[in-house]
Amino acid sequence: MNKILADAISFGRQYLRSKVGAFFTFIFPILLVLLFGAVFTQTGSSSMNLPVQDRDGTPMSQAFLSALNNTTVVKVAMIPADVTIQEYVRANSLSVALEIPDGFEVEVFASLASNGTTHANVTLYGDPSQSSFGLAMGVVSAVADQMSFGIAGASPLIVPIQSPVVSERFGAMDYLLPGIIGMTVMFNTLYIMAAICAEYRTRKYFKLLATTTLKKSEWLAAKILWFTLSMILSLVATLVVGILAWNVQIRFDLLTIAFIVAGSVLFASLGMIIGSFAKDSESASALSNAIGFPMMFLAGTFWQLELMPEYLQAIAKVMPLYYLSDGLRDTLVYGNLNAALLNLGVVSGLAVVLYAVGAKVMSWKER
Amino acid sequence: MEAVIQVQDLVKTYDGLNAVDHLTLDVDQGTIFSLLGPNGAGKTTTVEILEGLRSPTSGTARVLGHDVRTEYGDIRARVGTLPQDFEPFDRLTPLEAVRYWGSLFNRNVSQEDARRLLAQVSLSERSKVQGLRLSGGEKRKLGIAMSLVGEPEVVFLDEPTTGLDPKARRDLWTLIRRLRSEGRTVLLTTHYLDEAEQLADEVLIMHRGKALARGPPEELVSQSGLLTTIVMRGAGPEGLGELTRRGIPAEMEPDGDVLVRVANPNEMRLVLAKLASIQVPLKDMYTKRGTLEDVFLKLIGAKMEEGVLQE
Repeated sequence: MNKILADAISFGRQYLRSKVGAFFTFIFPILLVLLFGAVFTQTGSSSMNLPVQDRDGTPMSQAFLSALNNTTVVKVAMIPADVTIQEYVRANSLSVALEIPDGFEVEVFASLASNGTTHANVTLYGDPSQSSFGLAMGVVSAVADQMSFGIAGASPLIVPIQSPVVSERFGAMDYLLPGIIGMTVMFNTLYIMAAICAEYRTRKYFKLLATTTLKKSEWLAAKILWFTLSMILSLVATLVVGILAWNVQIRFDLLTIAFIVAGSVLFASLGMIIGSFAKDSESASALSNAIGFPMMFLAGTFWQLELMPEYLQAIAKVMPLYYLSDGLRDTLVYGNLNAALLNLGVVSGLAVVLYAVGAKVMSWKER
Repeated sequence: MEAVIQVQDLVKTYDGLNAVDHLTLDVDQGTIFSLLGPNGAGKTTTVEILEGLRSPTSGTARVLGHDVRTEYGDIRARVGTLPQDFEPFDRLTPLEAVRYWGSLFNRNVSQEDARRLLAQVSLSERSKVQGLRLSGGEKRKLGIAMSLVGEPEVVFLDEPTTGLDPKARRDLWTLIRRLRSEGRTVLLTTHYLDEAEQLADEVLIMHRGKALARGPPEELVSQSGLLTTIVMRGAGPEGLGELTRRGIPAEMEPDGDVLVRVANPNEMRLVLAKLASIQVPLKDMYTKRGTLEDVFLKLIGAKMEEGVLQE
């Protein structure tokens, strides 16, 4: 039997018998898909409570509150009219509360009569640094504008329309799944390879292997063969669960396989470098964590890069996982061949460089 | 006979200290050659250089006619190795490990072949147990089986019987002798003097990287003048005095035993005849053949237990 194949089979057998390996290859990504799916697809009630003090109590103020409720973005919760709203906000640690002042309806009609030279006001109290305050401000402004146009009998001049770049059939999980796949590739290859290299060195397996006809390059090829095969199996299992549980509908083509192969080589090589310098398996795990965890959170696995500050975005763009996750998203979700190929080029280039460095620094020989 | 291992003026230096100090040896085909010495003598370093795992500082080493520095790729498949620090793979059974190891020597080892090999090292009953559940002795046996899976012409066994029970040790000795009878060459490092004496055609005693003595065990014993000793148990000072008066060289042990060393076997009858005429009270009288242990003690000045010098 071919030595590479024999070594890959033997390694795979040991890997699957170690429950940790089997867990991180097959169970962990499936758990993530189920958990994230539960969070992002079963959204439940998405409306935010908006405490309101209606000091006017007129049909106009009631109509305003109804319009707020009709947005479904906020749900109006009433504050007693006889309390001081600022004290109420502080006492109840509210981030936002709306006051409709006494005379609101009168002021609306006065404004209409003056042709807009005077205004009827509502006031938002709370903490402007909180996102809920910003959300409430946006909703209240939009409702106020719409009511103003309605009362004045006017139509807005500029109206936004929705035109999704991606087919509407894609949901939140469709976007998240490529990130989970990328992260699984990183976790399994980087962590396991670093630990394996450190263990093989400390337990003298490298020395033992050096007494056979197996070459170092063949050993590395066998590991990469195993990681690639196991990651493809993991990918299939993850996608099947995603489809069955959350009805994800994504494209799956040869480019996806190419990303899995290039990603496996890249992170296995990085693991090899870490494992070559780590004192033992525990140090290798610690070093892998130090590199893997920031990458997992910063490289756009769970949320879009645009949500992060610019300096973190710059950091994310030097992380290989960013290009793997982004490329997987390009091919699995957007079907954007050019962008996917560009990302694949980056991942493959890094893989070649890190493989060369890893093969150079890893030694089987004793001093 | 053709020398399959040739070492000439070999030196390996670590931090200015010579772990192997100008060592020269050659091992003939189909023989068992033993490197004997305490821990730290330089045995393993020497063997690892011969296995191509370490580079010598200076000197030459050739195995099967090939330079170990540059030509090991040509002979790797013809050499079997049991390292001193051998550890089996935790999650492979001996059966799987032997078959896997065979494939690394380009051999397709069948299930039946693997079973046969494991039977040779008395590991049949544990052939389906994962490596991490094997005892220390069973691990060594598996290591030996793996070293033989490529049908090697030269086998390096570094401390093969460490951790084995007496029966397993003797079984292994039988196996090593069989390797020799099949025409294979065995280089055996050991700190067990009896093992070297029992197995080796030739022994090289090493200490602090240097070769102190080399030759067949019985020759080393005879060269040391320790071939046979007559022990007069309980003869005491009176016996010693009587022997001295009759011109027979003798020495007394602290426990009162008097020893008469006979370097030449031809003199044995004459010496015994002289002793028979001496009338001193004795507890017992017997002859003791000189051993490698005596040679070792004479050369190094200390006894050795489990590889540690009792200085």
